[in-house]
This record gives sequence, C-alpha cells and structure tokens, in this order.
Amino acid sequence: MPTAISVRSLQKTFARQIAIDGLSFEVDANEFVALVGPSGCGKSTTLRIVAGLERPSSGMVRASGETVDGPVRNAAMVFQAPVLLPWRRTLSNVLFAAEMRGKRPGAFRERAKELIVLTGLDGFEHNYPHELSGGMQQRVAICRALLLDPTLLLMDEPFGALDVMTREKMGFELQRIWSETKNTVLFVTHSITEAVLLSDKVIVMTPRPGRAKAVVPVDLARPRDVGTLKDPAFVELCAAVREAL
Amino acid sequence: MKLALSLAVVLAALLAWEYGVLAAEMPEYLLPAPSVIFKKFWQTLPVQMEHLAVTAATTLAGLVMALVAGVALALVVTYVKPLQSVILPLFAAFNGIPKIAIAPLLVTWLGLGAEPKVLLAFLLALFPVFVNAATGLSEIQPDILDLARLFGGTELRIFWKVRLMNAVPYLSDAVKVAFPLALVGSIVGEFIGGNRGVGYLILSAQSNLDTPLVFASLLSITLFTSAGTSAVMLFEKLFLEWRPSRQR
Ligand SMILES: Nc1ncnc2c1ncn2[C@@H]1O[C@H](COP(=O)(O)OP(=O)(O)OP(=O)(O)O)[C@@H](O)[C@H]1O
Ligand SMILES: [Mg+2]
Repeated sequence: MPTAISVRSLQKTFARQIAIDGLSFEVDANEFVALVGPSGCGKSTTLRIVAGLERPSSGMVRASGETVDGPVRNAAMVFQAPVLLPWRRTLSNVLFAAEMRGKRPGAFRERAKELIVLTGLDGFEHNYPHELSGGMQQRVAICRALLLDPTLLLMDEPFGALDVMTREKMGFELQRIWSETKNTVLFVTHSITEAVLLSDKVIVMTPRPGRAKAVVPVDLARPRDVGTLKDPAFVELCAAVREAL
Repeated sequence: MKLALSLAVVLAALLAWEYGVLAAEMPEYLLPAPSVIFKKFWQTLPVQMEHLAVTAATTLAGLVMALVAGVALALVVTYVKPLQSVILPLFAAFNGIPKIAIAPLLVTWLGLGAEPKVLLAFLLALFPVFVNAATGLSEIQPDILDLARLFGGTELRIFWKVRLMNAVPYLSDAVKVAFPLALVGSIVGEFIGGNRGVGYLILSAQSNLDTPLVFASLLSITLFTSAGTSAVMLFEKLFLEWRPSRQR
C-alpha cells in the first residue's frame, strides 16, 4: 500500500502554547483512520495542517508523497462546525465545492441530490442554513465534502451534532461510500465505539501537547454493521483504545 | 393592523394641526394648515415634479458614483494590504471635514450647474459606502475562506462567490445611510447656487414668504425618500431573505 499521509515529528506552537509536540503517524492509501484524544490535544490542528491550511512550526507532512505547503489537491474537509454559506440554500451549498473547483455546477447537480437523499436531507434542498438544525447543517457540510469524490477526506467530528441513531446510520453510510470510492479518510471523533467501528486503525493522542500515544489496528471484517457492536473482538478493541486514552 | 394604527395616528396629528392652526388664528406664513399645504402641493404639482426630478437625478448620480468609488476603494484596501495603512488614516481625516462647509468652495470651482451638487452628494455618501464595503469584503469566517481554497478556489472565484456575496447586505445597509446623505448634499448644493431643484424651490418660496410652498416642497422630498426607502426594503425582501438578523 502506498502511503497517503505521512506526518513526522510534527510540532505546532501557537502564541501562548505548544499544541502539538512530536506527533508522527502514517495513513496508507484507501485506509480509514480514526484520530482520538482528549479535548484540546491538537486533533483539529492536525487536520488543518494535513490539509495544508496551516503551517507546522516544525516537522514534516507529506500527502501522496508530496510535501504539503498549501491546500492539498483533491482533499476535502468537514470542519468541527458546519461552515456553510448563509446566503446559499442546501443544494447550492453542496454545489459550492464544484464551483470552487471551477466545474460547472450543473454537471454535479444529480450527484448532489443523491448525497442529499443519502444523508436524509431530502425535502430540505431549498432551505437556508439558518432554517436547518445543527445536525442537518453538519450533514450539508458532509455532502459538500463528498461531492467531488476527494481522494483524501478529512473529517473533524462530523457526527458530533447528531443523535445516536442518525449518527450510527451516517457512520455506516460513510463506510459504504468509502468502500465504493476507496478514498483515504482521516476521521476525528470523541466516540471510542465509532472510532473502532469505522476505522482500520485508531490513533490515540496524549493530552496537550499532542503526540501519538498508541496506534490500535482494527482488523474486524467488513462491511461492519450493528452486529459488529456485539462481536467480542470489537468489545476488546474498544477496551484497548479506552486503556490507551 | 399596524398600518391602520399608524394611519390613525397620522390622521389624528393632521386634524390637531388643522384645527390648532385655525383656533390660534395662526398667520399662514408662520404655519399653514395641512389643507392649505395639500392644496398648494396640488396646484404646483408640475413645478414640484420638475424640480424634484432635478434633485432626484443629482442625488442618484452622487449615490451611484459613491457606490462605484466606495466599492473600488474597498477592493484596493482588501487586496492591497500595504495600501491599507495609507488609505484608512487619509479617509478618517477626510471624514473629519464637514463636507457641507466646503459647499461654497465647490460652487466657486465648479459653477452653478449640476456638477458641484453631484459632487457634494457623492462626497457625503462616499464614506458610509466605503466603510461598509470594506467590512463586507473582509469580515468573512476564516474557515469559509480555508474551505474555498481547499476545494481549489482561485482568488477570483472566491471574490465573486464569497467576498462579494458577503458584502451585499453591508452595501444595502450602506445605501440606507448614504441615500439620505446624498439627498442632503443635493439640497444644500441647490441652496447655495443655481435655479433648479427642490432646494432652490424652497429657498425662493421662503424669500417670498410663501410658507405653504415651502411645506409643499418638503412633501415632495418626503415622497422621494419614501420611494428610496421602499426600493431598499424591496431589495432586502427579494435578495436578503437569508440575513442573519432575520434568524429566529
Ligand atoms: N488559531 C489558534 N491560535 C491559538 N491557539 C490555538 C489555535 N488553534 C488551536 N489552538 C490551541 O491549540 C490547542 C489544540 O487545539 P485543537 O483545536 O487542535 O484541539 P482539539 O484536539 O481539536 O480539541 P477538541 O476535541 O476540543 O476539538 C488548544 O490548546 C488550542 O487552544
Ligand atoms: Mg477540535
């Protein structure tokens, strides 16, 4: 497997504090990796640096073999907050990705509608963000990130604002999309269950300043479903991650 | 219901005015009764509209020029960061000059035609347009800009689809402030020189002690400002449904 992301001895210092100190990890191409760690340990900062939206203070970050020194091509991101354009309705917010890429939005309309149905937003295509709930806004942001079939998908607690049932459903939906498109996913979550259920490996970070404390490989069969939750191997892996945290 | 209430209030005020003036035997040149004003307005309607058209044209010309120049300056400040520290203090100093006070100077330089009036309207309207446009073009959630860049957005695409769109409500607010200011500029310009416009009409009526005509002219101006305000409100209703202020 070629390496999709490689982070070596990453350090990030802000004016008042060291956020990340000596973080290293690798993500293979087509791999689904979960990043967990206590609040404030630098998970969002790591994603921003991997995306090329923020410069590391020191250390090296490579994406698809190239050193990251600006927004990474063919990457998409779901931020911790929805970050929608308030003057655009749902469909047009999803199509924003295509427009920024310089593509004709008309060519992506069908795909956008599919994603909207897939995430349970059908009937809300023509609502403005302020007319949607927080969880619905977050799902619009997910559709937008998926629209262009990114080779690298960075997600920062994408399901944080969802209820348990929707969250589970969206997780499985993401697993299906990932298995069909075979993109690389780096996924931040606070839920240990979600991390183990969806990923090929879980990277556990230390409290701030963040470092990789443990990497837990998850070799459960796919596709995983609700049944997986009762699998003793699954329960054991969850315990291992909890132990590491 | 609300409309009916405000109509009732206006009607009551007009009645009180009408009969108050009558009871106090107020001379017409001091305070004419509403009925007299309306009659005058009706009689002088063609003249009123002729002068109002001049004032309206001056005001709108000044406003449009202010919009173009204000947005252009805001673009410079947004994209050429080094110029920001040059332009902003200059602008603040410029805004400190009471523009009305330089009106006579403009007449000296530009004569009695439309030019000094348009210029005065423009100068008064420029500042609010510039400030709002600069804010609207730059005050954008940083994550939105990051996201646009990550999707491959060029500065040009980001300008059209993010910055400019973000600035629209700011510009609409700017017009609400700049429109009455431009009108003040036109009218003051007309006070100072020339023989056209509502400002001139008011001044000449006043010198003839024709107070009903002064009031009738004020009524003309009010019609114009209401039309302007309605236009902005219509624009907001049509295009700014999404405004944060309308949330919840
Ligand atoms: N732009 C910034 N300027 C200054 N400090 C920052 C900035 N962004 C993040 N930090 C600091 O860096 C540290 C890591 O922040 P980060 O947002 O990456 O944490 P996180 O792991 O995503 O936390 P959470 O789980 O709560 O989202 C925090 O201590 C935060 O205060
Ligand atoms: Mg975070």
